[in-house]
Amino acid sequence: MTRHRIGAGLALAGALTLTGCAASDGDPTPPTGGKVEITFVGTDPAEDLAPLLEAFMAEREDIAVNYENIPFDQYDNVIQQRVGGGDAGIDVLLVDAGAAAAYASRGLIVDLTDDLAEAQASSIPAAVEQSWWQDKLWALPFWTSATYLFTNKDLVEAAGLEPPTAAGERWTWEEVVDAAGRAQAAGAEYGLLFEQVDLYYQMQPLVESAGGGSGAKGADLLTADLANPGWIEALEWYGQLFADGVSPRGVDANQTANLFAAGQAAFFIGGPWAIYTLTEPERPIDYTVAANPYFKGGSPAMATGSWSIAVSSSSDAAEAAHAFVRFASLTTPGNAASVARIIIPPTNQAAFDDFIARIDQADAPHTAGMGELTLSELRQAAVNRPNTVGFTQLTDVVGRASSDIRNGSAVEPTLRRAQAELQSLWDRL
Amino acid sequence: MTAGPTRSGGVPAPERPRTGSFSRLRRNLRRSPAPQALAFLAPALLLMVVLRLAPMAGAVGDSLFHYSLSTQSRRWEGLGNYIYLLSSPEFRQVLAVTALFLVIIVPVQVGLALLVATLLAERTPGIGAVRTMVFLPVAAPAAVAALTWGVAYQPKGVINAVLGWLGLPDQPFLSSSDQALLAIIVIMSWTGIGYWTMFLVAGLQDIPLELYEAAAIDGAGWWACFRRITLPNLRKTLAFVVVADTVSSVLSFVPVQALTQGGPSGSTRLIMYDLYNRSFALGDTSLGQAEVVLLLICLIGVVAVQFRLLSRGEA
Repeated sequence: MTRHRIGAGLALAGALTLTGCAASDGDPTPPTGGKVEITFVGTDPAEDLAPLLEAFMAEREDIAVNYENIPFDQYDNVIQQRVGGGDAGIDVLLVDAGAAAAYASRGLIVDLTDDLAEAQASSIPAAVEQSWWQDKLWALPFWTSATYLFTNKDLVEAAGLEPPTAAGERWTWEEVVDAAGRAQAAGAEYGLLFEQVDLYYQMQPLVESAGGGSGAKGADLLTADLANPGWIEALEWYGQLFADGVSPRGVDANQTANLFAAGQAAFFIGGPWAIYTLTEPERPIDYTVAANPYFKGGSPAMATGSWSIAVSSSSDAAEAAHAFVRFASLTTPGNAASVARIIIPPTNQAAFDDFIARIDQADAPHTAGMGELTLSELRQAAVNRPNTVGFTQLTDVVGRASSDIRNGSAVEPTLRRAQAELQSLWDRL
Repeated sequence: MTAGPTRSGGVPAPERPRTGSFSRLRRNLRRSPAPQALAFLAPALLLMVVLRLAPMAGAVGDSLFHYSLSTQSRRWEGLGNYIYLLSSPEFRQVLAVTALFLVIIVPVQVGLALLVATLLAERTPGIGAVRTMVFLPVAAPAAVAALTWGVAYQPKGVINAVLGWLGLPDQPFLSSSDQALLAIIVIMSWTGIGYWTMFLVAGLQDIPLELYEAAAIDGAGWWACFRRITLPNLRKTLAFVVVADTVSSVLSFVPVQALTQGGPSGSTRLIMYDLYNRSFALGDTSLGQAEVVLLLICLIGVVAVQFRLLSRGEA
C-alpha cells in the first residue's frame, strides 16, 4: 500500500512537472486577460517610468508591460546572470552608454539594424552611434546626458568672486579650484564635489580635456592606454583636490548632491537630474548653472551618453518587446513620456527639442539659459564613452585606480599598474 | 550413475548453488542495520552530492577551460587559469591581504570571545542582561551592520566627532590603505565576538563545577584554574570555534562590497570579493572557478593544520 502511495506520488509529481514543462514551452508568456506580458528592466524607480508604460499600453492594448528596477551597481551582473542564463523573465532592457558592444558580444541583446534608418531619421545622431558595433545596431536611442558646473552663489560671492553663469565664459579647472579654495577660506565646508565620484563617466571628460583620450585605443579598442601624459596630468589634478581638502575623501557618490543642496559646497559637477535634489531642502540654496570646466590649454570635454533600449536575447515575446522598444525610442510621444517625471534629455529629436524648451523652467530662475547651454555643450564638448567589448573591464579598472588616487596613491605607478591589469583582462577576451 | 555425497555419510556437503549465497547475504543484510542507516542518510547524502560535490566537480572542470566573452567560444586551457592567477600581482596581493586579515581577525575574535565568555559564565546578578547586550549585534544583518559602521567611519562621522572631543586628530578609516582593513575587522568583530561567545559560554557551562571546587580547596588561583581546568576542558569547543571562525572569515564579503570595494589600493580586497568581482562583475567565470578551487585547497589546508594543532595532546 505504501509502495502504491509512493508510486502515485511520483506519478503525480511527474505529471505536474510535465505539465509545467508543457506550459512553459507551449505558452511561454502567460497571457494577462488575453494580453502578451513583457518585462522591462532598468535602474530608475518604477514611478519614473510609469508614464512610458501607461502611454504604450494605451496604444497597444494587446501587450502588458511590467517594469523591474535593478540597482545601478548590480545592473551588469544581474543582466549577465539572468539574460546570459536564458531567463525569459527579461524582455526589454536598458543598455548603458559604452556597454552595447559588451552586451552584443555576449549575445545578451538582439540585432536591431532593421530599425537603423528610422532611428537616424528620428533621433540625435550621437545616440544612434552609441549602440553601433560591428556594422550593426544593437539598441535604440533612449536618453542622453549632459553635465554642468553648479555653483552655490552665496558661498562664492562671500569669497568676493562672481559665480560662473550659463551665458558666461567657460571656466577652467584651475579657476574653479582657486575659487573653491577662496570659498572654503570664506566659510564653505567643501570646495568642489563630483556627483559620480571615481566613475568612468566622471573621469573621462577630465582626461579627455587634458588630451589623454578614452583609455581604449586600437582598431578594436582593446589596447589599454591609461598611463599617457594626459591621464597622468588629469589624475594628478584629481588626486590633489582630495589631498588639499578641496574635495572630501570618504564621501561617496550617493551623498554629494545632498551635500551641495544643503549648502556645504561651493561647486558641484552633476547632471540635470540633480535639480530635483536641489529643490528638496526647505531652504533651497541660490545657485547658478554653467558649462563644464576644462583644463587651461586643453579642450572642452563633457560627459554625455546615457541609456539605450534593447530587446533581450532571452525574451520569448520578442515581437511584443520590439514593439515596446520602438515606441519608447522612435516615437515622440513614447520617448517624451519616458522623461515626463525625470529631468534627463530624451533622444528623439522632437522630444529633445521640447526638453530643451522646458529645462529653463525646471527650477527658475536658477536654471535660466540651461536649454541653450545644453545644446551648445552637446555640440562643442560632448565626449561619448568608447564602444568596446571590454567596457566592463575598463570601467572597473579605471574606477579602482581613480579611487586609489583619490585616497592618496601615487598617480603614475597606479596608472601603470592599472594599464597592465586592464590589458591583461582584455587579452583574455 | 554415481550417488552424490550425503551429510549422513560424512562426506562433505555439496557446494550450495550460488543463489544460496545471495539468500545468506540478504539474510545478513536484513539483520544488519546498514540498509536502514543508509536509507536515513540518503537525503543528506543526496543533498551533499547535489549541493556540494557536484558543484565542486563542476568548478574543477570549468577551471580547466577558457571562456571568451568576446567570441563566446570555449577552449581547453589546462592549468592556464591557475598559472594566470598565480602569476598575477593583483591576485598575489589578494592572497596576502586575505592571509593578513585571517592572522588578525581569528585570534582577535576568538581571544575576545573567550574573555567575554569567561566573564559571562560567572553567575552574578544581572548577567542575563549583559549577555543579551553582547549577543545583540549578532541579530543585525551583515549589510545593515556594514552600512551603520560606514556612516560612523565617515570623515564627519560619529567616531571622528568622539576623537575630536577627546582632543585627538580625525582619522581617515576607510579611505586609508593603512586603516581600512582594520576598520573592516572591527565591523566583523562587532557581530563575530558575540556570536562565538555563545558557543564558548555553552562550552564553559559544561565543565563540572566540582573541578573548580577541588582546585579552590587545593589553593589554586583564577589563572591556575583557567590554565589547568578551563582551557583543557574547553578544547573541543575552542577547536570548533577557531575552525568555524576561520572559514567564515575567509568567506567575508558584505562589508567589503558595501564599503570599500576592495580599496584603497587593494588593501581590503579579500578573496571572496575578488572572486565575486571576476566571476560576476567582469564575467570571467572560468577564472572565477579556478579561484574557487584555489580557495578550497587553501581552506582545507588551513583547517587541517588547525584541527591537528588543537587536537594535539588529546588522549
